[in-house]
Amino acid sequence: MWILQFFPGWVFPAIFFAGIIVFLVTKTISFLPQAKLIQGFAVVLVFFGTYMTGAVSNNDAWKKRTQDLELQISELQVKSEKVNTKIVTKTLTKRETIRERGEDVIKYVDREIVKYDNTCVLPHEVVEAHNKAAK
Amino acid sequence: MKKYLLLLLLTGCSTVVPVTQKFPLAPEVLLEPCKPLKAAPDNATLSQLTKTVVENYTEYHQCTNIVNAWREWYTSQKQLFEELR
Repeated sequence: MWILQFFPGWVFPAIFFAGIIVFLVTKTISFLPQAKLIQGFAVVLVFFGTYMTGAVSNNDAWKKRTQDLELQISELQVKSEKVNTKIVTKTLTKRETIRERGEDVIKYVDREIVKYDNTCVLPHEVVEAHNKAAK
Repeated sequence: MKKYLLLLLLTGCSTVVPVTQKFPLAPEVLLEPCKPLKAAPDNATLSQLTKTVVENYTEYHQCTNIVNAWREWYTSQKQLFEELR
């Protein structure tokens, strides 16, 4: 409620009690002028005080819920960052392992398979089939 | 009197407090696309063809690594995202 930002929380219960006191005073002191009008005003104060006290309570409940949600979101952001870091580290480590394994196999090819280059001549169709599949 | 009534009615207007949760951005490493496979040179020798095959397998494993990481990232982040609801 926008109006609540202009008043401290104790104002509305004070209005409520002021309304009750004014009402009782007008009931007990009979010689007051305009007693009926003041009584009506007191009733309005009581209703307004009750309504606004409820509104303050409701507002506080929503504020608390908002704060809880903001806290939860910040906690989840921290968890999310941790997950990111864990996954990135794992992915980069595995990437390096794969690269090293590939290099090892290439070294093996350079050392061992090269020996068969002259004895095992590949038909052109083999390379062509490979290249078609790789496209 | 109308002004006071209007003021009283307006006290019921609420202000919105936006609390929004954003789905996190994926890390850069997961956004890298898979590279295309290599073709062997024409009239390639056995070792040249084997090297190309090895390089392509390596590339496939790199791509699998990224895809699996993507899957893990999405599942974990989705689980965290839904914890709030």
